[in-house]
Amino acid sequence: MANTTDLPKHDVIIVGAGPAALSAAIYTTREDIETLLFERGVPGGLAAITDWVDNYPGFVDGVAGLELATALQKQAERFGAVIELGEVFSITDEGDWKRLDTTSGDMLAKVVLIATGSDYKKTGAPGEQEYFAHGVHYCATCDGAFYRDKRLVVIGGGNSAVQEAIFLTRFATHIDLLVRSTIKASDVLQTDLQKFIDEEKITVHLNTTIDEIVGEDGSVVKVAATKDGEPTDFPTDGVFVFVGLSPNSQFVKDLVELDEIGLIIADENLMTKVPGIFAAGDIRSHATMQIASATGEGATAALKIREYLEGRKHPAQN
Amino acid sequence: MVKNITIFTTNTCAYCVMVKRFLDTKNHTYDVVNLDEQPERQAEALALSGALTVPVTVVTKDDDTREVIVGYNLSKLAPAIA
Ligand SMILES: Cc1cc2nc3c(=O)[nH]c(=O)nc-3n(C[C@H](O)[C@H](O)[C@H](O)COP(=O)(O)OP(=O)(O)OC[C@H]3O[C@@H](n4cnc5c(N)ncnc54)[C@H](O)[C@@H]3O)c2cc1C
Repeated sequence: MANTTDLPKHDVIIVGAGPAALSAAIYTTREDIETLLFERGVPGGLAAITDWVDNYPGFVDGVAGLELATALQKQAERFGAVIELGEVFSITDEGDWKRLDTTSGDMLAKVVLIATGSDYKKTGAPGEQEYFAHGVHYCATCDGAFYRDKRLVVIGGGNSAVQEAIFLTRFATHIDLLVRSTIKASDVLQTDLQKFIDEEKITVHLNTTIDEIVGEDGSVVKVAATKDGEPTDFPTDGVFVFVGLSPNSQFVKDLVELDEIGLIIADENLMTKVPGIFAAGDIRSHATMQIASATGEGATAALKIREYLEGRKHPAQN
Repeated sequence: MVKNITIFTTNTCAYCVMVKRFLDTKNHTYDVVNLDEQPERQAEALALSGALTVPVTVVTKDDDTREVIVGYNLSKLAPAIA
């Protein structure tokens, strides 16, 4: 292991470059706090792959997720934030410095902000893995266009499933929405959904669990499911899965405290139990999983990080 | 040496933007086939990549050999355009 003194040093390293991270970076860099972000996927996080965001304040008619994500990124970069496309594998607390093991090697930071959000959960059904990107998908904005004039199955009953099923109606002729129990999406989305049900573009199947994604000659042909206790087949050309999210916290599970679903517990200053390590956005326990709350938390985290860094410089002020 | 690059994209694909940005930073020009505007070229993308997804980046070398990169995959894209 390299000697600590030889390693690259940063004031703040932010893990992730989603809305929470980018907002934090706008605030830290604008206050001349040097900030490096690591992003293993796409800057903008889940917001970048969301088709349309209708509820982010300030946009009268809504805004494309990708446009919002790009604007957040450019704003952070304007103030000097540096986004490195790579992954943070682990973090070690070495007191005043935190050591990060990354795709660019080990490095040190005075403060780390974890803003890693979540990834899509899988159903675990037979066929899901086998047909990934060949009929099984997790990103409607990425892969929906391949289902023009085709039939689709969407699995899930939460906000994402309903929102994405509605998005996919612009391509597919018909969508079967398979819901394990009941629809849990917001009232606004359920009202939108009703329009598509009335137009017979979407059919909702409650109390339906999937047993297998079945293919023939390399293509998905049906979803074998159990509806109201009876085996039921749903013929389809493709399957989009939106059955919830799984928190990206495994890489720090032995460092910070996690709640029962794996979200990071932080105090009212958004600091974890490790001094100098903060958490914001969807990854924080009790987060409200919205872009507006993620950007708000990013801003709060940045201001608390500034206080923390100043406190270190002037302990008498604490 | 790279002769030409073609990217199959859609209007809403964030990873396609990432591929374009990466090629921009490396000063490569490229042609874009937007499958929302040219759905008739979808079968071509599928035949090249074997997958129902975008981005699909096709890098053609001077000797007319081709490399097809599916998704935003820098570990494949970076050497392909080097
Ligand atoms: C389909 C869908 C539709 C949605 N629609 C809306 C909507 O209309 N309105 C709304 O307000 N919200 C919506 N949301 C929720 C919103 O997208 C999230 O609340 C928001 O993106 C959370 O921001 P974040 O920065 O906390 O995390 P994320 O956006 O998840 O970003 C986290 C980033 O961290 C990166 N990362 C993770 N681990 C590592 C690591 N170890 N190293 C480096 N990088 C890492 C990830 O690649 C990711 O880019 C939607 C979500 C989904 C899934």
